[in-house]
Amino acid sequence: MIGLRGVRKTYGKVTALDDLELDVREGEFFCLLGPSGAGKTTTLKTVAGLELPDSGTVEIDGKDMRGVEPYDRGVAMCFESYALYPHRSVYDNLASPLRSPRYRVPPERARERIGEVAELLGISGLLDRPISQLSNGQRQRTALGRVLVRPARAFLLDEPLSHLDAKLRQQMRAELKAIGAVRRTTTLYVTHDSVEALALGDRIGVIRDGRIVQTGTREEIWYQPYDTEVARAFGRPRINLLPGTVTGGGFRSVDGKVELPLPAGAALPAQTNPPAQPSPPARVKEGTDVLVGIRPRDLALRGPGHELTGTVYVSEVLGRSVEVTVRLGEQHVSLVAPRADAAGLRPDDPVRVTVRPESLLLFEADRPQCPGRRITP
Amino acid sequence: MTLRKRLLGWLADAALILYFVFALFPIAWMLILSLKPANQLFSTYFSFSPTLDGYRTVLGDSEGIPFVRFFVNSLVVSLGAVLLSLVVGLPAAYASARWRFKGSENLMFTLLSFRFAPELTVIIPLFVLYEKLGLFDTYVGMIWVLQLVTLPLIVWIMRSYFADLTPELEQAALLDGYSRKQAFFKVALPLVKPGIAAVSLLAFIFAWNNFVFPLILTSNEAQTVTVGALSFLGGDRPKYNLTAAAALVSVVPPLLLALLIQRYLVRGLSFGAVKS
Repeated sequence: MIGLRGVRKTYGKVTALDDLELDVREGEFFCLLGPSGAGKTTTLKTVAGLELPDSGTVEIDGKDMRGVEPYDRGVAMCFESYALYPHRSVYDNLASPLRSPRYRVPPERARERIGEVAELLGISGLLDRPISQLSNGQRQRTALGRVLVRPARAFLLDEPLSHLDAKLRQQMRAELKAIGAVRRTTTLYVTHDSVEALALGDRIGVIRDGRIVQTGTREEIWYQPYDTEVARAFGRPRINLLPGTVTGGGFRSVDGKVELPLPAGAALPAQTNPPAQPSPPARVKEGTDVLVGIRPRDLALRGPGHELTGTVYVSEVLGRSVEVTVRLGEQHVSLVAPRADAAGLRPDDPVRVTVRPESLLLFEADRPQCPGRRITP
Repeated sequence: MTLRKRLLGWLADAALILYFVFALFPIAWMLILSLKPANQLFSTYFSFSPTLDGYRTVLGDSEGIPFVRFFVNSLVVSLGAVLLSLVVGLPAAYASARWRFKGSENLMFTLLSFRFAPELTVIIPLFVLYEKLGLFDTYVGMIWVLQLVTLPLIVWIMRSYFADLTPELEQAALLDGYSRKQAFFKVALPLVKPGIAAVSLLAFIFAWNNFVFPLILTSNEAQTVTVGALSFLGGDRPKYNLTAAAALVSVVPPLLLALLIQRYLVRGLSFGAVKS
């Protein structure tokens, strides 16, 4: 529905988008995740027609948008800076699209619609206020409201929850997808928060240095991260990455203290990356430097699986579960265990840690500027 | 400690009063001069028999010098020059703040260079041109030539106002369904209103005070107060009281205008629009 093909955008010497390929399907909620400066906002503005690509094409509903003005593209955007009209009230800001030549509705209809949206976003009491009297959270909700009041072929949301306080953010995150307009409309949602991306995205695209590194469902991103960077971006505590080499039977860490059987291919679903991405190396020779990735929740203090022995380094109670950092040879791994399993553990206590081989991820070793790609078993 | 502080306070007050007297004395002197009767002009300082005759003469079109017409001329010419500069200059300022196009910087520099070339360097060719074109001593001619004064000012100052405004506001308007023209008029322009007020006042004062252009390019029909007030100095005896009265009368419009738009001069309307 929204398609970017080989889109390139530079500002002077800085390359913001580097042959970016992106497909957002009809009605989908697509999350674009990446660190600041990765090109997320530029991507949105390019779709909206506010930035013109140096090369490549932008398609909406299969039509090439070259030469189509922003007001003819039928998309609504929520700016990270809010971009609210400071000389008008909240009501007039929300009414702005409904009074424009393109989306004009009769004033009574507009009033009704604005009432609904304000109710939804909890800003009904603020409608008469000037923008300057709003808190950042209220401004952000007003900006979101200005997007939701009008019909659109697509919503482009640029970090729309980033300035809400933690509690409100969580609540809005839960509600956002339930909002009827959002459910019915294709949404391209930009965030730097992986939790948000996992919670909201029907599909997730990971963007880095102006390129899409990987697109997929949350399961694909989680279980088959394209490289170590993607693996590190999702999940807290972060994924454990142990450096080592491939041996005949499996993996041995650099210091030789950790040995693991390598994951069996059958346990993993087939790779579903778009063909545009270079496919990772299929096999590894013995002696290759690799990284083994283990999610903290895939390590257990008891249970079936391959056993490793180490000592407790530190442990931290996180409510019902405990994050334990275990020293395995020279490396530290963190794991999250139920509180009962970790009861009585003190620093320097010996522990047995189990891991099921099929949950292991294997990556090429990281090189400077080039995170190690995942190796398909 | 407190004594020292209080002493310092008094000293500061005294210095301020001294400066106040220094700054206002020329105006007070003009006022005194304008109230003097003609026969006491050269024989008195502060004690004289005050009279409004000077003002009566100046505003009453006597002595063959149509000062009231000069006054009206000044108003028409200065307001006209500012309005024309706004109509032409606001879009120019907006365009140069938002878009870099080929030669845009050169164009802006050329505009600015009008301000640092002394008017006297171009006045003779201008005089010849004006004679030939029939613009000599006309409103149109004066308004046109005053663009050299008002236009660069308005374009350069308004450019920085527009540059301060985040383009995302207009982008939001575009996505709300407004055309670029509407985004300019409905979003950008209202937000720079304080800037427009301030720069218009400044341009008006510059145009009003301009001396060289009306001196050379007008003779009677379109002459302005700056040149007109000096007419009282001609003749067998300089009439300083009339000159002073004329000068004080011609201070009124810029002063009134400044008071009128005072509230716009305070900036801060766009404050808080955008997360910084």
